[in-house]
Amino acid sequence: MPKDLYDVAIIGCGPGGLQAAIHSASKKAKVIVFGKPRNSSLYKAHIANFCCSEKLISGKEMLEAGRKQAESFDAVFLEEDIIETKNENKLFSLFTESGETFTSRTLILSMGVARKKLRVKGENRLVGRGVSYCVDCDANFYRGLDVAVVGNESAATTGAITLLSYARTVYLICRKLMITDTLYKQLRNSQVKVIQDTWVKEIIGTNDVEEVLLKNGETLKVNGIFVELGAKGALELAANLGAMFDAETISFIETNRKQETNIPGLYAAGDITGQPWQIAKAVGEGCVAGIEATEYAKKLAKS
Amino acid sequence: MGQGVLDVDDNSFESEILKADKPALVDFWAPWCGPCKAIAPVMKELEEAYGDSIVFARCNVDNSPNAPTQYSIRAIPTLILFQDGKVVDQIVGAVPKSQLEGLVKKAL
Repeated sequence: MPKDLYDVAIIGCGPGGLQAAIHSASKKAKVIVFGKPRNSSLYKAHIANFCCSEKLISGKEMLEAGRKQAESFDAVFLEEDIIETKNENKLFSLFTESGETFTSRTLILSMGVARKKLRVKGENRLVGRGVSYCVDCDANFYRGLDVAVVGNESAATTGAITLLSYARTVYLICRKLMITDTLYKQLRNSQVKVIQDTWVKEIIGTNDVEEVLLKNGETLKVNGIFVELGAKGALELAANLGAMFDAETISFIETNRKQETNIPGLYAAGDITGQPWQIAKAVGEGCVAGIEATEYAKKLAKS
Repeated sequence: MGQGVLDVDDNSFESEILKADKPALVDFWAPWCGPCKAIAPVMKELEEAYGDSIVFARCNVDNSPNAPTQYSIRAIPTLILFQDGKVVDQIVGAVPKSQLEGLVKKAL
């Protein structure tokens, strides 16, 4: 058994993840929560329609309060993104952006949904012709070529570092990097050419990507551009574990009323399971997931 | 109908896909690719519905470098519809079922 084995690991610290943490930790499960509060869609929101919160409070305040509640039951919080997940021998391994590994008996996915597209000229037309949304999937097609990665967070940064093993030149285009110090140091010591304080204005190419025009007026000659906004999402982290998605959109993780996915020990709660985008739904699903995951972890510990 | 999604590689690509007596939809994928895993059940569902009229196949780009080069594949999953050995249309990425079904219906 690994030294620090958790009962319940939660990716995402929005209302779904927090409620799951509160319920699991209050039942004496050993709980760890990963994620950055500002990535929750609640962070910048004002709450008007959530039961029993008559006085308007900000999303930020709510997230802070939820964390304090969960911490009061000894849940551990780590403000880092998860960049890889594995499921072996009935245990989940989680790899953080700083290169640490955590192991847990159960995993609750509650990282919400985020937009993946850049929404710039040339992007849609050149998908699969140099525009990619998945470094892990497509890096191999860019051996010896020049590529750019765009994004401000862990997915773009780790993606750029990964691409160094394949591509000849790797640019990282970002407004301002929001990553851990450890990852920042790793980036600084790498051959990635970081272009800061700007963004992509247009992707140019006749049949394939040829150039990327930046907002600062600069033009990069590249064969490919990887759009990696925010943290890694469901398609990267959950699909690799074998989780089923809804066939209609391939965007949401399928769960039953216990918030169980098709993979034993893997649960999902909140926006990641589909609409409506409401705190009340996220909290409700988080509650169920937290209780169910704790039960499962306790049974597994005894077996 | 229930044949399952056929595995093809560089060796069998010509006989199974290009010279098939039916149109063929090929899913270019790899085992390390999350979106590829997400779309696999959709391919299976469509095969159950349309498998009589169309060959549903998948090609692991990891083991078969020629086919992806031939069709300029630079992102996976890429799904290409072939008819009489020629590319009719293609879709890149883990798209919704309705979109993939739309592609399939072009060959019916």
